[in-house]
Amino acid sequence: MGKLKDEFNSYPKNIQITLYVLFFLVIGFAVFAIQILFWGLGYTDMNNIFAMGQWIIGDLGFVALGGGAFFTGFLLYIFRVDRLAPIISSTVLIGFMCYLFTFILLVFDIGQPIRAWFGYTYPNWGSGVYPKSMLTEVVFCLTFYFCILCVELVPVVLKHKILDKKPVLHAIGHYLHMLMWIFAAAGTFLSFFHQGSLGGGMWGVLYAKPAWYRHHFFYVAIVAATAGGTSFMTLMPWIAGKIMQKEIIPKETFWTITRVSGFMFIAYLLFRSYDIYTMIATYAPMADRSYFDLWGGYYGLWMLVLEMIFIIIPIIFLNIRKYREQEKFMVAGITSGVLAIIMGKLGVILHGFSVPNFPWKPFVGYNPTIQEWFIFLGSIACMILIYMWFAKYTHLFPHLEKAEHAAESE
Amino acid sequence: MKRRWGMVIDLDKCTGCGECAIACDQENNMPIFKDDSDILKRVAFLDLMKVTNDRDAKYPDVRVGYIPKMCQQCEGNDPKHPEPPCVSVCPVVATDVGDDGIVSQIWSRCIGCRYCQVACPYEARVFNWWKPRYEGTFKKSLTPDVSVASRGTMVKCTFCSHIWKRERDKAVANGIMDINAVEYTPACVAACPTGAMVFGDLNDPNSEVSRLARDKRAFRLVHTIDEKPENEQAELKKHKHFANPKVYYLTSRQWIRDMMRFK
Repeated sequence: MGKLKDEFNSYPKNIQITLYVLFFLVIGFAVFAIQILFWGLGYTDMNNIFAMGQWIIGDLGFVALGGGAFFTGFLLYIFRVDRLAPIISSTVLIGFMCYLFTFILLVFDIGQPIRAWFGYTYPNWGSGVYPKSMLTEVVFCLTFYFCILCVELVPVVLKHKILDKKPVLHAIGHYLHMLMWIFAAAGTFLSFFHQGSLGGGMWGVLYAKPAWYRHHFFYVAIVAATAGGTSFMTLMPWIAGKIMQKEIIPKETFWTITRVSGFMFIAYLLFRSYDIYTMIATYAPMADRSYFDLWGGYYGLWMLVLEMIFIIIPIIFLNIRKYREQEKFMVAGITSGVLAIIMGKLGVILHGFSVPNFPWKPFVGYNPTIQEWFIFLGSIACMILIYMWFAKYTHLFPHLEKAEHAAESE
Repeated sequence: MKRRWGMVIDLDKCTGCGECAIACDQENNMPIFKDDSDILKRVAFLDLMKVTNDRDAKYPDVRVGYIPKMCQQCEGNDPKHPEPPCVSVCPVVATDVGDDGIVSQIWSRCIGCRYCQVACPYEARVFNWWKPRYEGTFKKSLTPDVSVASRGTMVKCTFCSHIWKRERDKAVANGIMDINAVEYTPACVAACPTGAMVFGDLNDPNSEVSRLARDKRAFRLVHTIDEKPENEQAELKKHKHFANPKVYYLTSRQWIRDMMRFK
């Protein structure tokens, strides 16, 4: 205990304050988790009209942004873009945490968490090869991909300075690393499905809901995840590097991954524009609704405008070399990229649920309760703490070790 | 011939007395919460909606109507292969559609994900946000044929299908083995004092419900495709499913029909 206290006191003041805030959020998470799990969802602001809320926004965001893990892994292990090697451990860890906390938020979100296993034992598969319910697909694909991320994380954990000294564990970590392309390929295959289903397909199949219904929404979500996910995978280590005041990822790696992200944002802009066009011209009129009338109430059209601005910024800053190679523009680009995805998910949930089903009913609003805020922010705090632990005690950033070795040998 | 249960509600006869809602609550073991004025979290299968022609209108221009709304028992485009919007989305098969067209819900199978509630265009599904409680002597009045739901599960109107089962058992006891000969009346229809609600078999062209559903006063809730010409309807149905509910409403008041369309 004394050792921990000494270590805590050795940290700079701003890190100490950050840790206080993070631990406060985690404690709040634990307290309100008990309340929600034992006394039910009545304590949330969700209701029979606004049936899903902040936690589902979190799920959609985590999965889309964590989706950068599968795409980066795919580029590194299948396309052999070796410049991405210094970022891959961090990427796998972020992906793992995003999926872990997606599960955790889902457990809070369902009314009967102790029946969660019904999703595996009574799946709504129908008679085809492909599951009938999009949520069944989400359950299975998320589970399998999470297992893959666990395996992918093993070499990172085994790089811990104590574990790495054991020859057996060192050998396991080494050989697992060599086999990683198999997991990357399987993960990419699975990830394509659940990115599509949770982010878009789940909403796109709701044929009686004009705010969501469109056939191609599944694919829009996949492209969104590849674009925004890679931005997120750059943003996190960049922030970590700023806090640690060291170059933990080489600039070339950042440039490579942001270039990919910028390119994917062009694809996303095209796809999203097609999406909006078909909503205006085809899908909303099919239900005798006007697309622009669907935007109203508390969550107006500005959400869509803001999303488009956030998409255009990374397209400019990440695709043009002179901007990409300047840190401030690169950071502005990736931050906007992440915000574009968050706005997109807010649009799906906040706007989608606010749309009235009857012409004589108004748009509805949603104001998360303290329980919802603490569980959501507490989850993010847990993720930050885990990331900090890995950054401090494992070889999360191999480039850092190389730089230190080089400095020592000089 | 297989049944296809449907309902017709004559809004011109409905006085908004709420007898149907009370009968439904009683028959289906609806819990009473501490604060039942919290309408958005209330558990009730039948919602009596009050509508007006213009919120700002004054006497004598103001018009008021009541629309009893329960699960509309949607069937999608093809009644022979019903595809209600809520059934295919359930991840644990807790909701299904029977060959008599009734959309069922198994409380004890439901995990409470609320995806079916999201899919429902009629806000007909309700979630037990709080633990259902039945205080004091209220417990003695519970219907034994309807299971009591747990907290965190989705519940909905099933056209009182447990009454059908009761009637089927009676018929079998009387030696009638053809289940399609069984007839029954849901609690709301039985309770309506003005006879505004009619229930029956839509597959039987001679039934009263079929006759009324074909009436020129008939319409369905926010189902604007019905107003389009047949060829346009057929073209639209090639591209997507429409809810196609089995609950019809009758009215001669044009302003109520006009309200069914988003401006």
